[in-house]
Amino acid sequence: MWLIAVEGWILFITGVHEEAQEEDIYDKFAEFGEIKNLHLNLDRRTGFLKGYALVEFESYKSANAALESLNGADILGQTVHVNWGFVKGPHIRKRGRRDDDRRRH
Amino acid sequence: MDPMDVLAIAGKMRYANNSNYKNDTMIRKEAFVHKCVLEELKRIIEDSEIMAEDDALWPQPDRVGRQELEIVIGDQHISFTTSKIGSLVDVNQSKDTEGLRCFYYLVQDLKCLVFSLIALHFKIKPI
Repeated sequence: MWLIAVEGWILFITGVHEEAQEEDIYDKFAEFGEIKNLHLNLDRRTGFLKGYALVEFESYKSANAALESLNGADILGQTVHVNWGFVKGPHIRKRGRRDDDRRRH
Repeated sequence: MDPMDVLAIAGKMRYANNSNYKNDTMIRKEAFVHKCVLEELKRIIEDSEIMAEDDALWPQPDRVGRQELEIVIGDQHISFTTSKIGSLVDVNQSKDTEGLRCFYYLVQDLKCLVFSLIALHFKIKPI
């Protein structure tokens, strides 16, 4: 039984300052639309933030606007990177044998 | 097209959970994560310094259960097998407290990340 993703656009954010509060992230992203979900996970040993976050928007438009605007932005003195969390299909890399590196004429 | 070409599929996340609840079948989920998620996963693993650890002195899997973690990063390949760890008490009573503690926290951090990805993508709370 395979479950397929349902509606919702999920952004993956890295570079989050370890002392950031949920509001710091929420406020920045809420500017672009209604946030359906926000995960801001802790480092299980230190209790500080692990450094990444996931934000889910209802609409593609909001998510994309947030991505374009906040990717590379400064939050609490640190640069965050914002990307899509998921992609539609596999990123396929073709790897040939080493022989393929030698061109034959 | 050379039939010996190898396709390397990066970013595939697979989750499987045995459910013995009322004859449920196994729960399986699969999704493809963005490269940035893989990069963060890599960062978490490298920061933990687990690659320098060794499970030689760790408790063997037993009746209660087992844990296995296998990591391939670049040309480094490492795997760990041990029993279930209930709490830090188990870690502190082991023969390699530093290494086991590192493993204990890394597994929790990895589960946090994966469970967030699964919960958001599939709209349910995995166990």
